[in-house]
Amino acid sequence: METLKNALDFSDFPRLDLTLAGAVAIFLMVFPFFSHSSFAMSTLIQFLIFSLYGMGWNTIGGYGGQVDLGKAQYLGIGAYTTAVMLLRWDTPFWISMPIGVLLSVTWSFIIGYPLFKLKGHYFAIATIATSLVLKDFFEVWDLVGGSRGIEILAGKYQAPDFLHLIFKGDDYYYYVILIFFFAGILFMNAFRKSRLGFQLRSIKDNEDIARSLGINVHWAKIKTYAIATAFVSAVGSFHACYVKNIEPEDTMSLDISILIALMAMLGGAGSLWGPIIGAAVLVPLKSYLKEWLGAQAGMVGIDLILYGAIIMIISAAEPRGIWGMVEKARRRRRS
Amino acid sequence: MKKHFALVLPLMLVLALVLAMQTSYAAETIKIGVLYPLTGGAAAEGRELRAGAELAAEIANTSIPEIKMDMAKRAGISSMGGAKIELIFKDHEGNPTLGADQAKKLIQDDKVIGILGCYHSAVTKTVSAVCEEMGIPMINDSSTSPALTNRGFKWFWRTTPHDITFTQDLFEFLKGITEGKAMGVPAIPKAQIKTLAAACEKTEWGSQVSQTIETLSKDYGFDLKKSILYAAKSPDLSSEVRSLKSARPDIMLFASYASDAILMMKTLKAEKAGPKMIWGQDAGFEAPEFRSTLGDDVIGILTRTVFAPQVGQVKDVSGQVNFLYRKNMGRDLSGASARAFTGVQTWVEVLEKAGSIAPAAIQKAANTIMIPGEQLIVPWKGIRFAATGSDQGQNELGSGMIGQYQKNKAGEIVVEIVYPFDVATAKLIYPLKGF
Amino acid sequence: MEILAGSISAGLLIGMVFALVALGLTIIFGVMDIVNFAHGEFLMLGMYTALLTAQATGVDPLLTIPFAGLVGFLLGVICYLGFVKYLIRGPMVAQLLGTFGLMLVLRNLALFLFGSEDRTIHEGLLVGQSFDMGMGIILPATKLAAAVLSVISFIAVWLLINRTRIGKALMATALNAQGARYMGIPTERMNAFAWGLGGATVTMAGALLVNFWSVTPYVGLLFTMIAFAIVALGGFGSIPGAFFAGLIVGLITELPGIWDFATEMTGFDWMASVPMTSFKYTWVYLAYFLIMLIRPRGLFGWKH
Repeated sequence: METLKNALDFSDFPRLDLTLAGAVAIFLMVFPFFSHSSFAMSTLIQFLIFSLYGMGWNTIGGYGGQVDLGKAQYLGIGAYTTAVMLLRWDTPFWISMPIGVLLSVTWSFIIGYPLFKLKGHYFAIATIATSLVLKDFFEVWDLVGGSRGIEILAGKYQAPDFLHLIFKGDDYYYYVILIFFFAGILFMNAFRKSRLGFQLRSIKDNEDIARSLGINVHWAKIKTYAIATAFVSAVGSFHACYVKNIEPEDTMSLDISILIALMAMLGGAGSLWGPIIGAAVLVPLKSYLKEWLGAQAGMVGIDLILYGAIIMIISAAEPRGIWGMVEKARRRRRS
Repeated sequence: MKKHFALVLPLMLVLALVLAMQTSYAAETIKIGVLYPLTGGAAAEGRELRAGAELAAEIANTSIPEIKMDMAKRAGISSMGGAKIELIFKDHEGNPTLGADQAKKLIQDDKVIGILGCYHSAVTKTVSAVCEEMGIPMINDSSTSPALTNRGFKWFWRTTPHDITFTQDLFEFLKGITEGKAMGVPAIPKAQIKTLAAACEKTEWGSQVSQTIETLSKDYGFDLKKSILYAAKSPDLSSEVRSLKSARPDIMLFASYASDAILMMKTLKAEKAGPKMIWGQDAGFEAPEFRSTLGDDVIGILTRTVFAPQVGQVKDVSGQVNFLYRKNMGRDLSGASARAFTGVQTWVEVLEKAGSIAPAAIQKAANTIMIPGEQLIVPWKGIRFAATGSDQGQNELGSGMIGQYQKNKAGEIVVEIVYPFDVATAKLIYPLKGF
Repeated sequence: MEILAGSISAGLLIGMVFALVALGLTIIFGVMDIVNFAHGEFLMLGMYTALLTAQATGVDPLLTIPFAGLVGFLLGVICYLGFVKYLIRGPMVAQLLGTFGLMLVLRNLALFLFGSEDRTIHEGLLVGQSFDMGMGIILPATKLAAAVLSVISFIAVWLLINRTRIGKALMATALNAQGARYMGIPTERMNAFAWGLGGATVTMAGALLVNFWSVTPYVGLLFTMIAFAIVALGGFGSIPGAFFAGLIVGLITELPGIWDFATEMTGFDWMASVPMTSFKYTWVYLAYFLIMLIRPRGLFGWKH
C-alpha cells in the first residue's frame, strides 16, 4: 500500500544522512554482542525508550506545533493496563499492550476534544493539569495499587517468556525495544508524508488559512494527539515489563512529561531525526553525569542544571533544536 | 563534511567510551553492596545507617577482643582466610527505580556478592526483586513492611522485625495501660483512650502500617475513627491535621519519615490538636532531627524503637559498641544505626558460616544460621530466619520496644523505655501536654 | 460547625498568600504576554533567601522580607535582560521551552546549593503562636501576618499601577506596546521593570510563606500550578482578579475540611473514608482546566 511505500521511502534525505543513520542502525543491532557494562546497556535501552516517547510527542508537539506537557499520563495508562492484566489474568503482553493503547486513545479523545479548544501556553498548562489529575487519581485507586503501585514478580514466569515479555537479561528487552524503535521510525516516516501530516503542517503555518482550505483543524489535532498517545502508551506497556515496578509518582510524574517534551524539542521538534538526536544527547548525558558526579555528595543536580542551560540556550538562539541548527548550516552552505 | 563530523565525532566518542567501560577489579576483599538514602528527605537517617554499618565493618575487619562479640574477636572472615569485607555504598535517594538500577550496577559492574539495605520499604521492594532475579543474596536490615517477606523470595532475608510485630506491641501496650501495667500510671479506663486517628505516609511502608493499624484496632476493640494517607514530601500538612482533629481522637498514630514527622508535630501544636497520646512508628520519630528541631515539644511523644542506649545497662555488648559509636559520631546509636550494624554483623556471620562467596553456600548458611541474642547489640532473642512458611526469610527472634521522650535528671531529652513493661526504665508520662 | 469555620478561615488566610504568589505572574503576563514557568522557582528562591538570611544574621524572619523583595527584583530584571528579552523574539514554542529551561536551572541550582532536605523557620517572633478565636477558628500568627502583608502588597501594587506615572507607563505598554513606544515610553525598560516587580512580589510572598511552609528545591512547581490557576480564574492581567481568585483557590484547597464538615452533618459514614486530603490540589488543577474551557477570560480579565 501507499503507506508502506511511504514508510520505507527515505529518498528525500541527503545521502550522508542516510549513511550515518545506517551506520547507527547497524551499531545498535550488533551492540549487545560486544562486551559492555550493564550500565551502558540500560542507558541504551533508556535511549530507545525515550526516542520512542519523543517520536510520539513529535507528532502533535513538533509537526502539530502544540506543546504537550502531559504525556506521562498515557505512559501510566499503558504501563498499568499491562501490569494489572498480567497480575490478574496472566494476560500476554501482546494483548495487554493494544488494550492499553485503546484505553489511552479513548482517554485522549475524551480530554482532547475540550483540550484542543485551547492554544499556546494555555494548552500546555492544561495538559499538565490533566496529567496531574490522573496521577492523583491513580494514587488513591486500589485497583492499581494506589500509591504503592504494582510489582511484577518475575519469579512466577519462566524466563525467557516472549508472551508476557519477562526476561532475565537486559539483552532480550533491548532487542524487543529495538524492533519497536525501527517500527516507530518507519511509522513516523509514513506519517510525515501522509495527508494528516500535510494537514498538520499547514495548520502549524497558519491555522486560519488551513481552516479556509477546508481542513477540519480541530479533528486533525485530536487525531494526531491520539497517535502520540498510542506511541507513548505502547512503550509504557513495555516499560512495565522491563522495570517490573510501577508507581504513580515514578511513572506518571510531571518530570517525565517534561523530559519527553524537552528531548524532542532539543533535538528538533518537527523533524524525523529530532527526537532521536535529542534522546541520544540527553539520556547518556543524564546517566553518565549522574554516575561521574553523583557519587560525590554535594554534586546533586548538576546534570539538570546543564540540561536546563542547554534548553535555555537553544530556545533563545535556535528554537528549532539541534536538527534545526544542522538544517540552517546546510542551507547556508548551499546558498 | 566537517560540520557533520562535528555531530558524529562526539557521538562516536561517547559510544566508544561506553564500549570501553569494563570493570576490572581484582577481588581481594569481599564486596557487599549497601543501598541507603544518602540524599533526599531521609538523608539524615541515611547518615545514621551508614555510620552504623561502617562501624560494624570496622569491628569485623579488625580484632577487638574487649568487645564480647565473636565478630569483634576475629579479623576479617576467618573461614575464608581472614578476607576483609568491603562495603560499597550507593545512594537511592528514596526512589525505588533508582534503587533497582543501582542494585543492578552493584551486582553486574561492581561484582558485589550480596546486598544490604535499603531503609525505605518501597526501595527494598524493587531492589530485592532485582536480587531475586539474579540469584544474589540480600539482607534487609531496616525496612519493616510485612509484605516484603510474603513474596516467597529465596534470596531475601530480613533481620529486623516487621510492622505487624511492632504495631502489635503498640496495642499490647495500650491494653496494658488499661490494666494498670504501665509504670507510674494507674489503670486508665478504656473509654478514655478508645478513639484513635492515624496518619501514615503513603508509600509501601506507611500504607502497610495503616492497614495493620486498621486490622489490629478491630481485634483489640479500639475505635479507629479516621485513617489518612499523605505524601511524605508534602510541604504543608495543615488540612491533614485538621482532618485528624475533626475525629476528636484520644490517641494519634503516625507512620512518618523525618521531615514529615517534624512538620506534623509542629502543625499539631499550632492547630492545638490536643490528643492524650501521640505514637510514631519509628522512622522519623527516632531521627536525630526530630529531637533537635522540636526540642522540648517532643516530651511525652511515644515512638516504636528497636534500640535505646539504656539497653547498654543490661547488655554489655550494646554498651561497648555504643561507646565506640558515640566516639565517632558524637551521639548514641539509634534504632536505625543499631539495625544497620546488626545487618552487617549478620552478613559477617553468614559468610563465616558459609565459608565461601558462592551464592548457594550463602543461601544455605542464611537459611540455617542461628545467632544467639548475646551476640547482638539489639535486645532480641537472636537471629534465625524462617526457612519456610508465609513469612519466609523473616527473623523470628526479633522484638520491638516502645520509648517515650522524657527529660532525664540532667535535663537532657532522652528516650526512656516504657514497653515491654518489665524492662521499663521510667514512669510513663500520661496524658500528653502541650498539644 | 467548628470544622467548617476552621476550614473556611484557613482557606481564606492561605488564599491571600496564594494571591500574592500569583500577583507577580499576572503582572508579567499582563505586560508581556509571556508565561513564566519558572515563577514557582522565584518563589522558592525567595523562601531560601528569607530563611538563610534570618539564620545567618539572627534577625527575625519577618524583617528579611524587604531584602527578599530586593533579591527578587534583581533576579527578575536579570532574567529579563539576560534571557527573556531574546526569547520573546522567537516562536511561542521557544518561549515555553525557554522558561522551562530556566525553571530547571533555578531548581537544580537550589538543589546543588542547598540540598534536598526540607527546611522551615523554627524560630521567630510569631512562629508557633496562634490566636484561638473560638468556634474552631485558629489563626496561626505567621499565616495571619502573611495574609495582612499580602493585602497591603496588593493595595500598594494597585496604587503603583494606577496612580503613578511609571505604573501608567506599564499599563500603556501592556495595552499596546507599539503605541507606547510611539509615545516615548521606553518599552524595554518597562518590560524589565515588569519582570522586576513580578519577581519582587513573588519572592516576598516566599519570604512570608517560609514562616509556615517548608521549603525544598522542588516546592516551586506546585505554586506555579496554583498561580496559573489563580491567574486564569481571575483573568490574565487583572490585579483585583488575582486577589479574589486567590481566595477562591485557597478555599478549594480546604475542600477536605469542608467535606469533613459535610460528613458530620449528613452522618454518611462512607464519606469519612474518601481520601479527600490526597486530592487537595487536584481540585485546583481541575479548576484551571474547567475555567479555561468555560470562561477563558476569567472573572475580571481584559486580556486573552
